Amino acid sequence: MSVESKTGVEELDPAALAAATKKRARIGTLLSLTLLGLLALMWVALSFSTRSFFTYNNITNLMRQGSMTAILAIGETFVIITAGIDLSVGAVVGLASVIIALLLTSNFPIWAAILITLAFGVLIGMFHAFGVSRLGLPPFIMTLATLTGLRGVGLLVTNGSTINITNDAFTSFSQADFLGVPNLFWMVVVVAVPAYVFLHQTRFGRYLFAIGSNMEAARLSGVNTTRTLYIAYILSSVCAAFVGILLATRIGVGLATQGEGWELQAIASSVIGGTSLFGAIGSIHGPLLGSFILTTINNGANLLNVNSFWQRIITGGLIIVIVYFDGLRRKKR
Amino acid sequence: MDQPQSGSDQKRGAVETAAPLFVLKKLDKRFGATHALKAVDLIFEAGEIHAIVGENGAGKSTLINLLTGVYLRSSGEVFWEGQPVALATPHEAIKYGINAVHQEVVLCPHLSVAANLFLGDEKVHFGLLQHRAMVREAQKILDDIGFKLPAGAILSALTIGQQQLVATARASTRGTRFLIFDEPTAYLTRQEATQLFALIRRLKAKGVTIVYISHRLEEVFQLADRVSILRDGQLVSTQRVADTNEHALITGMINRTLEQMHYKEEIPFGAEILRTEHLTGKGFEDVSVRVRTGEVIGLYGLIGAGRSEFVMSLFGRYPKTGGQIFWQGQPVDIHKEKDAISRGIALVPESRRDQGLCLNLGVGLNINLPIYERLTKGIVINPFAEAAAADRQIRDVQIKTASRDALASSLSGGNQQKIVVGKWLNHGAGLFIFDEPTVGVDVGTKAEIYKLFAKLLKEGAGIILISSYLPEVYDLSDTLHVFRRGRLVATHDSARTSEKALHQTILTEALGS
Repeated sequence: MSVESKTGVEELDPAALAAATKKRARIGTLLSLTLLGLLALMWVALSFSTRSFFTYNNITNLMRQGSMTAILAIGETFVIITAGIDLSVGAVVGLASVIIALLLTSNFPIWAAILITLAFGVLIGMFHAFGVSRLGLPPFIMTLATLTGLRGVGLLVTNGSTINITNDAFTSFSQADFLGVPNLFWMVVVVAVPAYVFLHQTRFGRYLFAIGSNMEAARLSGVNTTRTLYIAYILSSVCAAFVGILLATRIGVGLATQGEGWELQAIASSVIGGTSLFGAIGSIHGPLLGSFILTTINNGANLLNVNSFWQRIITGGLIIVIVYFDGLRRKKR
Repeated sequence: MDQPQSGSDQKRGAVETAAPLFVLKKLDKRFGATHALKAVDLIFEAGEIHAIVGENGAGKSTLINLLTGVYLRSSGEVFWEGQPVALATPHEAIKYGINAVHQEVVLCPHLSVAANLFLGDEKVHFGLLQHRAMVREAQKILDDIGFKLPAGAILSALTIGQQQLVATARASTRGTRFLIFDEPTAYLTRQEATQLFALIRRLKAKGVTIVYISHRLEEVFQLADRVSILRDGQLVSTQRVADTNEHALITGMINRTLEQMHYKEEIPFGAEILRTEHLTGKGFEDVSVRVRTGEVIGLYGLIGAGRSEFVMSLFGRYPKTGGQIFWQGQPVDIHKEKDAISRGIALVPESRRDQGLCLNLGVGLNINLPIYERLTKGIVINPFAEAAAADRQIRDVQIKTASRDALASSLSGGNQQKIVVGKWLNHGAGLFIFDEPTVGVDVGTKAEIYKLFAKLLKEGAGIILISSYLPEVYDLSDTLHVFRRGRLVATHDSARTSEKALHQTILTEALGS
């Protein structure tokens, strides 16, 4: 009712509108640049203040640390764009590490073990989408339930124990690098590039945004909203299962309790990267930057011998500050 | 129900000596580029019933929201009992005793009638709610004001009309001195309306000022002392009801140019596009209609008469429970929206905001949403085809936007409506369903929409038009169906009957008696 009556005389001046649009685009770019600037600033500051930060070992280590959060955040972003949330990704990571460890100790070939583990990710995502679209459960509740439930499943199959992975070819993957860049970071590229194409250049990407903006309008425009929700939740769970596999190569064990709290890291990365929890706003580069900002804070704080409790406080404060400024930016629209 | 003429005369005599209660001077409201209310001067006397009439989009709701402190005025002055006031928050308005009964009931449906009456002002004894005492007192209040309602009932168990009465009772009990009614009788039965009118007269007798907003002009003449007309955000006139008549009010409300722009051409009807036989679903029953190429069928009725539910069922949004749909003579099953869309049914839904648009996404995305399958080459969208498709509609239906990437929310209501229409033009369709297409749309866009109708019809499409605005639906339809409480109660061939006689008949049919 706020926009109600007008006459032809007061129509928006196209020139002013064009300026406003350009300004908005500029501000949008500005946020990513701000994040990039923030990341660069932290790196420069840490390079000067610590001797060990800007070393090959530390940088590659940071890339390894950040890559898993980054992949989780990309998957999470698909769901958040539909105005949903996936709280289960941390639990899926733990469960996936258990599944692949069990498969490998049962002498499955590596490729088969990976595919089966990813297939479990697909099933979990389908289950989430089923609950959200067919049973009408709020995404928060549905994935809160599986956050608890899937950890239980993992603990049940392993009886709470750790499964050692003895397959050297599998565990050496995370240590190796390619062209001087750690393999784990290449995995981010492997996920992010198709994710970018999917989100920004396919119709399903458009549908994700449309659903997040107005589910009913999307539906009445002929968008298959159920199928699109399935896609979003499956992508999130598959990314999480993939991270579970990467984690297993990194620590060489399958353990159901791994990845505790990672869902919050993923959500925080996504939100810091400009994704709106109200849906319809998000990107791939945003969560990538967000996850490496969080990782750099942790890494830098370790090097500076900052109490690890402070790291959590700083991270929390940063989320509030960044999202507040982002909110200001949106309000001006 | 007749207002005794002598009573209002006396009132007027009293009013002229006292200082006015509430004075608006050059009240102005802009929303961005939209000028919703233009320098409106209004004086509300203590104890008068002041009717405000105007078409949809004339600025009535904006005025209510300004008076109740929901919006802050862009410029102008407001005087309460001669003192300039800010009127910046709803809280401040309530403090002066300004209250409103809105069209939609804003109460807590899960609480009892009594709890709703006392909400925010509960009776408490040692920190505990006194449920029984509240129900007793609420019942006394309701009986006193003549509303036949059970105070202990849960609000959601009542009809919308009864809930509206509860809202009225609530607004009239808490030291209210200025009470605004926004279309209060839209959902009321005759008996309920009588109860409401009795209450309004009682409030007036107690010196409460009433602002009465209604589309039903006969109510204005029954109740009001004075009437103000708003048109396109401007005050046209304020007159004593005794000094004017229905015809004069309508002339003041309606923009003449608009009347002339109602667009109707003789287009021969062709083959049947769609037919329903005894179609039944949630909210409507046993509806049989037929649309041919070149034909507009109008569905007229009150809000909630089942028209929207009927077309939503045609469109596959809600399931039918009985009857049959025929598409080009063949029986078809439409289970989901896609079934309807792929056959060539297009829907411009009732609420742009809730059903029509992804407001925080770009104009282009909104336009292309139904056709992304076509724009996809292999896996990815062809960006050039996407841009061209969006630009074509922006140009063809003349959407005033900076670019296809501008957010839909940055456009005016009329231009937003054009997006919703435009997306189906790109898709192409044989049957267009328009559900209240001109609500909240400016005059110019209205004319463009009407012209678009003619264009669609000439190209061989059929149109189902839902409108609650009788002159519109009468002028545009070839066949007019009247809905009441979910049933199709009458059908008129608009060309054959004289306009005035028909208006009367249709209104009676829609309202029921």
